[in-house]
Amino acid sequence: MSAPIVQAEQLTKHYHGDRGVHALSFEVGWGEVFGYLGPNGAGKTTTIRLLLDLIRPSSGRARVFGLDPSSDGAEVRRRVGYLPGDLRLYDRLTGREQLRYFASLRRLDGLGDGESLAARFDLDLDRRIRALSRGNRQKVGLVQAFMHRPDLLVLDEPTSGLDPLVQQEFYDLVAETTRDGRTVFLSSHVLPEVQRIADRVAVIREGTLELVESVEVLRARAFTRFEVSFAAAPPAGAFAGIPAVRELERRNATVLFALEGAADPLVKALARFEVLAIDVHEADLEDLVLGLYRGETPHAG
Amino acid sequence: MLGSVLLKSLRDLRRSFAWWTVGLAGLVALMLAVYPTVRDNPDLNRLVEEYPDALKAFIAFGGAVDYVSGAGYLGSELFSLMVPLLFLVCAVGNGAGAIAGEEERGTLDLLLSNPVSRRRVAFEKVGAMALELGGLGAVLWGALWAGAAIVGMDVSAAHLAAATVSAVLLALAFGAIAFMVGAATGHRALAIGLATAAAVAAYLVNGLAALVAALEVPQKASPFYHYAVGDPLRHGLALDHTLFLVAIAVVAAVVGVLAFERRDVAA
Repeated sequence: MSAPIVQAEQLTKHYHGDRGVHALSFEVGWGEVFGYLGPNGAGKTTTIRLLLDLIRPSSGRARVFGLDPSSDGAEVRRRVGYLPGDLRLYDRLTGREQLRYFASLRRLDGLGDGESLAARFDLDLDRRIRALSRGNRQKVGLVQAFMHRPDLLVLDEPTSGLDPLVQQEFYDLVAETTRDGRTVFLSSHVLPEVQRIADRVAVIREGTLELVESVEVLRARAFTRFEVSFAAAPPAGAFAGIPAVRELERRNATVLFALEGAADPLVKALARFEVLAIDVHEADLEDLVLGLYRGETPHAG
Repeated sequence: MLGSVLLKSLRDLRRSFAWWTVGLAGLVALMLAVYPTVRDNPDLNRLVEEYPDALKAFIAFGGAVDYVSGAGYLGSELFSLMVPLLFLVCAVGNGAGAIAGEEERGTLDLLLSNPVSRRRVAFEKVGAMALELGGLGAVLWGALWAGAAIVGMDVSAAHLAAATVSAVLLALAFGAIAFMVGAATGHRALAIGLATAAAVAAYLVNGLAALVAALEVPQKASPFYHYAVGDPLRHGLALDHTLFLVAIAVVAAVVGVLAFERRDVAA
């Protein structure tokens, strides 16, 4: 089972202006949760719609289960469950009718896992979709994505509109899915969510992949912040050239350092000055990723 | 009614179909109720004979204009304008919305994420449009047949069927054009606009050709010409004219499906 479930090779989609995605290359392996992280408008939905053959690449190619989504679309989609970011359902149908429609297009017996998933999410399938709250519609979307036990789930911002308890249920469902060896491709602009459930993370910004890395490696790479208050402002450049340290910000006699390795060189350097206080902020992926959003590279300094 | 795209599409149309049925039946009942009065009014018929040719060209349905014979009356009162107009409104709205409607409402993304090809989705939507028009044709035919029997009109059931089929095919041709534009562009209003403009142009070209010699050649390309010229209420369907209408519908539908298969779906 070493062949990738999803493979993008120089995948590119141009739109008018600067939008679209450019030369994306990544692989998603069997049984993993792949977090696709980026700010709104970065190209997450475009990537997903390319994988589902809703739009066609300008150049490069995508493979899902080793197949071309354009020529083998039906076979690919038979094994994929999809939750769109901008979920629109048939307002006039009830939840059950919507599920029955898609279940018959998928030739499922009954609703597949639909009934049990709905019960799990505490979703009333007999109400008209028009009358459902945003959160409940999202539940219908989740149920239709999972009900046929697809090998690959492609979920675009799946937890938007869900209350925290339901989110937890969803995280459990994702964990069960990957325990079966199935794969989840999940886009999100919420870092803690990705950090929590993903095995690997891709960060996309302005249509370009900034990094593809396992969460563990990222966490190791994420820096700790030291906020040091001095009795007098140290001269500029006093902390240049210290291994694994960079100065992030200065306010009068307070300096914010980023530490990406052992603390010893920084502590030795600080000892030359009179230090009033040291505040240590926990290592956080957020800093790393926010840095990427702002266009900083993770190894600067 | 949720077993396939075709059945779901028909289900979506059932409410509008019910209203179209009521409207058509009411129109037929009204027209046939006044027929005996019109037939027995010699002054009115003399007046019609003196109409200018241009007007006659617009109120005729293939053959001569008269309000005495059943064929003449139904041709002028229903089939020259009202029936094709109503069928066209239904077909164009339906065809334009087939793909573009779901696309604009945003439900197409999820529908196409199912293991059905775009080709199948599109053809089943066209099929639903054709079936709805066929259903309206059946309603019209049934109402005409029953009404004609009640008021003692001298038109055969077969000739009523021929005129109805011709009207259904005319509507299907423009419905397919609306479908083609909607499927190719994803814009429902554009599809309605272009198909309506095409229908109005085709109608005017056909009617004005009696006055303007230069239009005699373009007239042959007008679906309205082929719809009426064989005088279906008196002579039944002519194969060549029928095939012309069918060909337009088929070509437009196929072009629409091919374009839809090749383009990006709007988010």
